[in-house]
Order: sequence, then C-alpha cells, then structure tokens
Amino acid sequence: MSTFTAALAVEARKARSARVLWSTGVLLVVGVAVLAGAMVAAARSGNAEVAAKLGPTAAAGDWPALLGVAAQVTAAGGLLAFGVGISWLTGREFADRTVSGLFGLPVGRGTIAAAKMLVYAGWALAASLALTALLPLVGLLVGIGLPSVADLIGLSRQFALGVLTALIAVPAGWAASIGRGLLPGIAAAVGILVVAQVSVVAGVGGWVPFVAPAAWAMRPDGPTSLALLLVPAVPLVFGVATVLAWRRLQLDR
Amino acid sequence: MRLAGVTREFGGSAGVRAIDLDVQAGEIHALVGLNGAGKSTLMKLMLGMLRPDAGRVELLGAEVATAGPAVWARVGALIEYPLAYGELDGRTNLELAARLRGVPAAGVPPLVDAVLDELDLRRYAGVRARRMSLGNRQRLGLAAALQHRPDLIILDEPTNALDPAGVIALREALLRRAADGAGVLVSSHHLDEVARIASRISVIAEGRMVGSLDPDGIDIERAFFSLVHQAMAGAGR
Repeated sequence: MSTFTAALAVEARKARSARVLWSTGVLLVVGVAVLAGAMVAAARSGNAEVAAKLGPTAAAGDWPALLGVAAQVTAAGGLLAFGVGISWLTGREFADRTVSGLFGLPVGRGTIAAAKMLVYAGWALAASLALTALLPLVGLLVGIGLPSVADLIGLSRQFALGVLTALIAVPAGWAASIGRGLLPGIAAAVGILVVAQVSVVAGVGGWVPFVAPAAWAMRPDGPTSLALLLVPAVPLVFGVATVLAWRRLQLDR
Repeated sequence: MRLAGVTREFGGSAGVRAIDLDVQAGEIHALVGLNGAGKSTLMKLMLGMLRPDAGRVELLGAEVATAGPAVWARVGALIEYPLAYGELDGRTNLELAARLRGVPAAGVPPLVDAVLDELDLRRYAGVRARRMSLGNRQRLGLAAALQHRPDLIILDEPTNALDPAGVIALREALLRRAADGAGVLVSSHHLDEVARIASRISVIAEGRMVGSLDPDGIDIERAFFSLVHQAMAGAGR
C-alpha cells in the first residue's frame, strides 16, 4: 500500500504541473459551455430560420435545450478530450523517454499505471463537475434563468454523462501504453468516436457501451438505458489491461 | 550483483551471449566497449527492462525477476535517459525520484538538499528541467540515481553530455559511495575519467565479455583495442 501511496503522490504532482491536462480540461469545460450557450442564445434571438437550422434539440431555447446541446457536445468532445488526457498520462513516459527511469524501483510499473488511472479519474471528475457548475451561469447569461427542479435532474445527468464519457475513453490509455506513445492513444479515442457514430447510424447504438452514455443523456427514458450497466466493463477491462501491459513491459523496441 | 550465463538475443547478431559478471560491495567496476557492443542491453537485463533468454541475474541476493521493493530501494540506476520531467523544476524532479525509490515523504528534503550540493545543482533547483542544458539534465538524472545512498549503483555511460566539472563531481560522488560500501557498475564506450577510477575494468565486444584490463596498467587504451579487435576478428567482422 505504501508503494501505491508514493506512486499516487508522484503522479498527482506531475498532473498538477501538466499543461496538457489543464488546457484540455479548460477547453472541454469552456468549449461545451460556450457552444451550448451560443446555440440557445441564437434560438432565443427570435429568428425562426435560425431556430429551424439549430434543429429540434436547441430550437426551444430553454433549459432542456441548453442541456440537450451540452450533452451532444460532451458526448463527442468529451470523448476526445478525455482520450487525449489519458493518452498523455500513459504515453508521455514513452514520448519523453522517461520510461527507462521507471524500472528498477521499489514502486512497480503496474502500481504506477494504477496510480495514473486514479489521477485520470480525479481529473475527469473535476472537469465534469466544473462543467456542471458552469452551466447554470451560462443559463443566467443567455436569459433562461435558474434551472427548475426538473432541469437540476438534467444537470445531474450532464455530470453523469461527463463521468461515463471519461470511463469509455479508458481504452485510449491502453492503446498509448501498447503503442508506446501519445498518438496511438489519440487514434484510439478517434476510433471509439467513429465506432459510436457508425453504431448510431446502424441503429444498434444504445446497446454499444461506447454509445450508451450519450443515448441515455439524450433520452433518459429510452429503451437502452439498461445498456449503461455495460459501461463500467470498459474501464474495468482496459484499466486492468493497461496495468498488466505496464507490469510486463520490456524495453525491447 | 552477479550475472551467470546471461543471454538475450535479438534479430541478426545483436544481443548479449553467455555473460558472467559480478560487482562486489565497495568496488567500482567499469564495463567498457564500443558502441553497439551490448553494454546497454546488459544493463537493461540487470534492471528488469529486458528478460534474459537464459541465465541468472541476481541483485543484492535476489533474482531480478522476483526482487521485491526492499531490494529495489537499495538500487540506484540511470540507463539511457535521465528521469527528468520537463515541466518540473530540479528540486521537484529529485523529490519525486526519491519517493519512487521508497524514501518516506518526511525523509526526502534532506536527501535532496544534500545531493543538490554534492552535484553542484543548487542553481538549478528552481529551474524547469526542459530549460536545462543536456549536461545539467544528465546531472539531475545522476542525482536522482544517487541521492538515496543506494548499495548498488548501475550507470550507463554516466559521463554523457557532462562538462569536466560534472565529470569530477560524479567521480567524487562514486568514490565516496564505494568507500561507504556501495557496489558500482559504470559503462563507457571509451576509457573515460570514470572508467579510469574503477578497481576492475571488463571489456565487452560483440555481445560477449572478452577480457579485462588492469586499471593501473601502462597503455590500457592499446590493450582495450587489442581485445576488441580480437573479438571482432573472431566474430568474422
């Protein structure tokens, strides 16, 4: 346990100074908030043509519209942002060539990888919380007032969507570890996004774990909400695979 | 540390074969060979970065594959690249390195302070590693490997990028630790300042140990090349 405490202290300290994590987190939080606010403000401008172009999610220009747009942008943008974050956490050791310094230590590489996962969870949780906290401010700014009780439930769903999206981005960290760099991880995040889109188009969307969070956030009463139960399997399988990959790592290429 | 019959082959003729090597407590043992001779491969095998195809690697009485935290806490190593994160300053890098080597949080600051002075890094304590010269980053990596007073020190080409003052600081630091009972293994591609303070010099060529040199001998440079050329001729090169 003490080696895990040391690994966690080290990884948390590195994350605190990590420009990649700060900028990606801020970009996600501010980006989603600005996009959702701008769409609702446009819908409320009174121009029927603009409202029609914005589509049914945003057209009403109310709190459900703000939450709907935020959910749509979080589902895609969040996957990429979280994918970049976890790819950097694992892949940077290879890109910066610091990985050779992580051998021959009392703190094992599997322990270091597990600490990285926990730091990732903390970062993703903080970003999801910040976004959820920012949306009521955006609502006030665009003139739709404070959220009602029903909207507050919607806000909590937005928070859950952030966390669930972070969970399905975990394979990117595994890909960065196996591929020994950031790019394989980012490619995996893009791949997950493509799989999600294709699944939606093919009509099997909601039951694919990579789509389930977004499908649920858009239609909480939809038939595929049960599919959310599959989502934790993704970080579980790929989190364990990442730890094993680090534990078994050899510097042979 | 003891290696017995260690073999690890890659494609072609690369790798190391049937290596026997040992480092005793209190001695500095230099491993000298030309580029590509197998020095780094051998050191990677000692630290578990590579697994051997055959043979045994023992560190401080434990098999490398099963050595626990208590063994690794007594080892200090620098192989290939220094453990220096660009976004962190010198002091923070050393603090994290000490934690990773099993030093309890409360014991870290005095160790870091001592090594900052020992390797003349105090000026860089507040400088981010990415802004340091290659030589100072190497000093930082060496400080990270030495600060916790390990009983076994393994350094791969430690004088790389060091200026003459850095070489002298390293030489003194290694002599002090050996005098305190640590076993030290350093590699070099030439008979540099550090190799010359060794009590034993082993020569590696073509992935095999091909002989040893007398550190006090006359014209050991010539003796080194003679051993290497014999080995290359034997390998048909």
